[in-house]
Amino acid sequence: MLVDYLQRGVVAGAIAGLLYGVYMAVVANPLIEYMETVSHHAGEHDHGHAADPAHAHAVSEATTEVVSVGSGVLWGIFLGGLFALTFYFLEPALPGTERVSAYVLAGAGFLTVSVTPWLVLPPATPGAEQSLGPNPRLVIYAGLMVLGAVVAATAILGYERTTARTGSRYYGLVVAGAPVVATVAIVPTLTPTITTAGAMPAELVTTFRGLTVLSQAAVWAIVAGSFSWLTDHVESTDGTAALEDDHPVAA
Amino acid sequence: MTVTNDTVHDRIETARTDLTPMQLAAILVFAAAIGFTLLFLQEPIAHDAMHNFRHGAGITCH
Repeated sequence: MLVDYLQRGVVAGAIAGLLYGVYMAVVANPLIEYMETVSHHAGEHDHGHAADPAHAHAVSEATTEVVSVGSGVLWGIFLGGLFALTFYFLEPALPGTERVSAYVLAGAGFLTVSVTPWLVLPPATPGAEQSLGPNPRLVIYAGLMVLGAVVAATAILGYERTTARTGSRYYGLVVAGAPVVATVAIVPTLTPTITTAGAMPAELVTTFRGLTVLSQAAVWAIVAGSFSWLTDHVESTDGTAALEDDHPVAA
Repeated sequence: MTVTNDTVHDRIETARTDLTPMQLAAILVFAAAIGFTLLFLQEPIAHDAMHNFRHGAGITCH
C-alpha cells in the first residue's frame, strides 16, 4: 500500500518536475543569466565582485542550463516522493476529503520546505551578499523547516479541534490561519537580515522572488493535484494495479 | 484508495508488516540520493552546474 502511494507520488512528482523543468528552461535560466550580467556589471564599478573566484563558473553556461533543467525535474520527483510517503502516514490525521487533504499536505509542505526558511533566508538573487557562510545558513534553514512543520501541524490541529468543538468550518479556518499569519508577520521582524541583494535593481529582485515563490507553490499544487488525479484514475480502472497495467509489454 | 477509516498508527503498522527491508532500504536510499545531490553536494563542478536551479528554487548556498 505504501508502495502504491510512493508510485503515485513519484509519477505526480515527475509531472510537476517536468513542468518545473520547462519553467527552468523558458523563464528561470534566461532570467538568472540576465541577472548575473547585471550583477557582474554592477560589480565592476563596485568592488570587483566579478573577479571573485568563488563566483567564477567551473562549467559552461550550456551545461548549467541543461543540468539546472534536469535538477528541476529531479526536484519534482523528490518532493513528489516525500509528499507521498508523508501522505501515506498522515492521511488519517489530515482534515477534509481525500482531495482536500492532499492539498492541505502540499500547503504544509510548501510552508515547511520553502516559506518558513525564506522568512529569514529569502531566495537569493544572483550576486546577492550573504552575511553568514553556507554552513550556518544550512543549520538556520533546517531549524526554520522544523519551525515550519510545527506551525503547519499547529494550524491543522487547531482547525480540527475548533471544528469539532464549534461545528463551524469558518472558525476552524480562522484558528488554522492564525499561527501561519503570525509566523509570516513576526519572524522576519525578529531576525537580522542575512541576505542582501547587492546592486540589483529592487524591481528585479521583487520579480525574481515573486517568481520563485509562485513557481515553488505551483510545484506543490501540481504534485497534490496529479496525486489526487492518479488516485482517482487508479480507483476508476482496476483496483490498485492500474499503474502496473499501463506497461503490459514490459519484461 | 483502500481503507479510509484507519489511523496514523494503523498506517505505520501496515507499512511495517507489508514492506520488506529491501523495499524500505530502496525507498530511503533513493530519497537520500536525490536529496544529497540537489541540496548538499558541494563538489564545485556539480554544484556550479545546478547554479540556476538553486537560484530558481530559492535554495542557494553561495
